[in-house]
Amino acid sequence: MLSTFLFWFLSVIAIAAAIGTITARNPVFSALSLVLNFFALAGLYLTLQAEFIAVIQVIVYAGAIMVLFLFVIMLLNLGSDSKDAIASKLQMGLAIIAGGGFVLMMTRIFMIQLEPNKKQSVLMNGKVEKIGEWLLKDYVFPFEIISVILLASLVGAILIAKKYKAH
Amino acid sequence: MLGAYFPVLILLFLALVIAVAFVQLAKWLGPSRPTRIKYSAYESGMDPVGSARDRFSVKFYMVAMLFILFDIEVVFMYPWAVQYKQLGVYAFAEMVTFIIILFIGYIYVFKKGGFEWE
Amino acid sequence: MFEPSLNLYLVVSAILFSIGMIGVLTRKNAIILFMCVEMMLNAVNLSLVAFSSYMGHSTGQMMVFFVMCVAAAEAVVGLAMLIAIFRNQQNVDLTKINLFKW
Repeated sequence: MLSTFLFWFLSVIAIAAAIGTITARNPVFSALSLVLNFFALAGLYLTLQAEFIAVIQVIVYAGAIMVLFLFVIMLLNLGSDSKDAIASKLQMGLAIIAGGGFVLMMTRIFMIQLEPNKKQSVLMNGKVEKIGEWLLKDYVFPFEIISVILLASLVGAILIAKKYKAH
Repeated sequence: MLGAYFPVLILLFLALVIAVAFVQLAKWLGPSRPTRIKYSAYESGMDPVGSARDRFSVKFYMVAMLFILFDIEVVFMYPWAVQYKQLGVYAFAEMVTFIIILFIGYIYVFKKGGFEWE
Repeated sequence: MFEPSLNLYLVVSAILFSIGMIGVLTRKNAIILFMCVEMMLNAVNLSLVAFSSYMGHSTGQMMVFFVMCVAAAEAVVGLAMLIAIFRNQQNVDLTKINLFKW
């Protein structure tokens, strides 16, 4: 009962916030609705018993990445979009047709009765202990590769964004 | 399992109700006699000039960016720390490798002056 | 019908994905475009977590974990590039960044 209510409630919030993100004229409003979208998704992860994923969704996405987005918006001092930055009616219509068509197609595909219809709650899937075990036993190589990716983006960001004084 | 999170839901609901209620109560109960002076940004100061939305300094950007990358590092350390005893020496060696690779990046940023507040 | 099932989670994920896609197709502000890309990544994450939970298999959740880390790295480098572009061009309107356009 509770999970049914939460699913519909959070899905509606997530979709409304997503629509807010793409329609807001002001980038700051866009970013804030995206934060709301991320929080709703974290709630949906909780209903799927993925506790750890829900927590890092809040910490990493809502807490860190969106703060960086807001900093950049304020750094670039972007006001609301000007008139000519809005897509034409034709572009808008075609995009909505493409998006709606995609949703219809996926919905039709997902109407197929999928095999597992009950949540496998016995496995205590999303607990931190399980994640730790998987991460350091079965997924060692991707784990080490992530450190190299982070190193590369560290170096790249410093190289690209840092302003050097002209000698 | 979701039942364990029911208190969190109640807390969120209470926070929302209390926040909205206090703002609305202050609006309804408090006397409101606005004048033009009271609505100005600095009641007994100079008139504000220009927009409040000025550009930030890029220094803030560098700090936020480096924060995200090391934030991810800590997120990876957390599940390891929870299972530290069970996972043993091998996992410890993996984690040390992970930290060393990111420490190289830290030294690079330090040398390039990414942490400097010019 | 109203009970949340795997199919419903996947439909929500498809809707979020296509909203992100519409955003990428219609907006011209590079930062909002980036946000829409993040939203699409999140939609895919939702479907992966749903599969992982209903199949009782770990792979989906570990994949989401790594997707998040790569998304963070991508956001950092992408926003750094936006700042570099802004230093040269004074705006981030994608239709005006056309130096290489023939």
